[in-house]
Amino acid sequence: MYGGDEVSAIVIDLGSHTCKAGYAGEDAPKAVFPSVVGSIDQMEVDDPGTPDKNSGSVQETKSKEKRKLYVGSQALGYRRDNMEVLPTIKDGVVTDWDMVESIWDHALRDCLLVDPKEHPMLLAEPSFNSQQQREKAAELMFEKYNVPALFLAKNAVLTSFASGRATSLVVDSGGGSTTIAPVHDGYVLQKAVASSPIGGEFLTDCLIKSLESKGLNIKPRYAFKRKEIRPGEFQTVDIDFPQTTESYRLYSQRIIASDIKECVCRAPDTPYDETSYSNIPMTPYELPDGQTIEIGADRFKTPDVLFNPSLVQTIPGMESYADIAASARGLPQMVIESINKCDVDIRRELYSSILLSGGTASMQQLKERLEKDLLEESPQAARVKVLASGNATERRFSVWIGGSILASLGSFQQMWFSKTEYEEHGAGYVQRKCP
Amino acid sequence: MEAVVVDAGSKLLKAGFAVPDQKPSMIIPTQMKRMPEDGSPSETSMTEDITVDPVVRGFIKDWDAMEDLLHHILYNGLGWEIGNEGQILFTDPLLTPKAVRERLVQLMFETFNVSGFYATEQAVLSLYAVGRISGCTVDIGHGKIDIAPVIEGAVQHIASKRLEIGGIELTNLLSQELGKSNPLIKLDISDVEKIKEMYACCAEDDLAYEKMSCQDETHTLPDGQVITIGKERYTVGEALFQPAILGLEAHGIVEQLVRSISTVSSENHRQLLENTVLCGGTVSMDGFEDRFQKEANLCSSAVRPSLVKAPEYMPEDLTMYSAWVGGAILAKVVFPQNQHMTKADYDETGPSIVHRKCF
Repeated sequence: MYGGDEVSAIVIDLGSHTCKAGYAGEDAPKAVFPSVVGSIDQMEVDDPGTPDKNSGSVQETKSKEKRKLYVGSQALGYRRDNMEVLPTIKDGVVTDWDMVESIWDHALRDCLLVDPKEHPMLLAEPSFNSQQQREKAAELMFEKYNVPALFLAKNAVLTSFASGRATSLVVDSGGGSTTIAPVHDGYVLQKAVASSPIGGEFLTDCLIKSLESKGLNIKPRYAFKRKEIRPGEFQTVDIDFPQTTESYRLYSQRIIASDIKECVCRAPDTPYDETSYSNIPMTPYELPDGQTIEIGADRFKTPDVLFNPSLVQTIPGMESYADIAASARGLPQMVIESINKCDVDIRRELYSSILLSGGTASMQQLKERLEKDLLEESPQAARVKVLASGNATERRFSVWIGGSILASLGSFQQMWFSKTEYEEHGAGYVQRKCP
Repeated sequence: MEAVVVDAGSKLLKAGFAVPDQKPSMIIPTQMKRMPEDGSPSETSMTEDITVDPVVRGFIKDWDAMEDLLHHILYNGLGWEIGNEGQILFTDPLLTPKAVRERLVQLMFETFNVSGFYATEQAVLSLYAVGRISGCTVDIGHGKIDIAPVIEGAVQHIASKRLEIGGIELTNLLSQELGKSNPLIKLDISDVEKIKEMYACCAEDDLAYEKMSCQDETHTLPDGQVITIGKERYTVGEALFQPAILGLEAHGIVEQLVRSISTVSSENHRQLLENTVLCGGTVSMDGFEDRFQKEANLCSSAVRPSLVKAPEYMPEDLTMYSAWVGGAILAKVVFPQNQHMTKADYDETGPSIVHRKCF
């Protein structure tokens, strides 16, 4: 049992797209940065062994087995030769624990400037996390960082708390995937959790391909420079960096494209079809290199992929994703399936408290469209109500905010999994302590 | 009695009574020398011994030294009497850990027994000094560079950036460069610091820097040696726009500004970039503002940053202590309206109440 009085806890939410970290009790995370890691493999790596890592420091060592990792938007923003951008979390599963460690290091030591020994940690985990992943996370936290106490909470539960409800259906549409999880009295009903790989990044890729097919190329920020040819007149000049990896170019393009998506895209009121949207007025958007592009039907086509994944096949360039799209279901269908897998008694309550969270969920008009679709497809007696907080920032960080609320509750302080308990019972105890 | 405003930087500490549109009455170096004989540190010392830096990179690291320094300022410099302490306002850099703030509060109430306390971030204060509540502050100090967008008085932490380079790195660079061109002369860091303040300047743009061929100036050091300073003066200014000179893998300062603004939602971009405020000692370098404006026209953003002019009634070199002036303005609002933290609050709840009362 850990009696935390004045020392405030730290809440870390490592999502598939961004990592959010900050103090508990605050209303927004202080550190928000991409959860991808830039890595440069040093030459002559014949026997990788245990890849060492540095968290972004600039010492050049000639060791054969070292792999330099760069974390954080500042380090990633600088173009380096041969730097690959690797995701830390793929489909909800951690790919490489070294990268997770470097991300936590960056969040705690560089962004928040805290010593992990003195603060209890609340980690947010995906709703379908495996026992092995939880044990590994607990082990890493206790052994490497020596935290005094730890708690692992599921994303859906935290979102539920953030809106003040103990029972709800959480639609978490984040960067890497969309997860639908029913929460009942603070516990996730595992058998009814549904997930789809269509998330914010997928929509961004659709948008990039769609614009490319129309001949509009998005130039990454590092690829051009403005020169003053005459006083007052400027010209954009392309710079070529042949050593840049494809993954970095894609990463830089995605940043710009997701900004376009956030500004310009809206969920359509009715399902998208080519003819009705062909005469829509175009919206201008100015790219960083000064080029102004006009976006018309894509404004509505891209968000509709969430509701109708088979639209992906109509976007040229996305054929490789056609098989993902074929197996994925639209958002309203997943919601109804998930509710139908729950007990009959709670279905009514779930229908009337559907919560939206995640970056993609803050798209304009998404809430209205989802409500409309669900009203059509749900059983007659159900009263469908989709709730989302009005503030876009709150929707984006609702998992983190829920964690912040939870960790600062007085009644929560006895539920921490403390270091002494870890030493006594081992990492497997986490299953008992953090349901 | 007026409230006292203290802005503790890594190099200079600015303190004075809260009278806005005037310079702070005390601008003293933060660095102190420890004298073993009488056992109490003071600012000037003839004997060569250990220098103590209470403030490192913007954060207070050596609390005992800070206590002595504040003691000197408040009681000797500003004329407070023991038993009749007034109210005090402190400025913090970005990303100050909670623990540091709480410790400062504890120091103030327990050791100094002040009657009221308030702490706020330097970025917001620099904006108040030029009469704005929204905008972007670029604070180039001795120990760090803070880039902070502020909307309606609230710092957008998600988009703000702190770079661990500052005047210190520029001084080291200058001493390296001078060492290369004047190999026989022994240079002391404090001499290099003075040379930097006198001679450093910025080239018009990076092409002009490449082709620069300026005449060498000769400078006589206090110990009689004569050194020649040539292109090194421009190297110092250039390093802020091309950090590769310092050996760092980062973009120049304007590019960093534009990138950190791009993470804020685009409806605010115009308001933030058109109200850019430069502050900090390094900014007073010759030609820095013009170079900044020039780079701003070339940067990769739809809206170009443009600098804000300080109001006419403010003193001349406002950039050196704009955070202090902003603090003086804020003190006149906060303390009379009782929004600050009082001794009663501290006794009741402890130091953690500072996070709720002051932001």
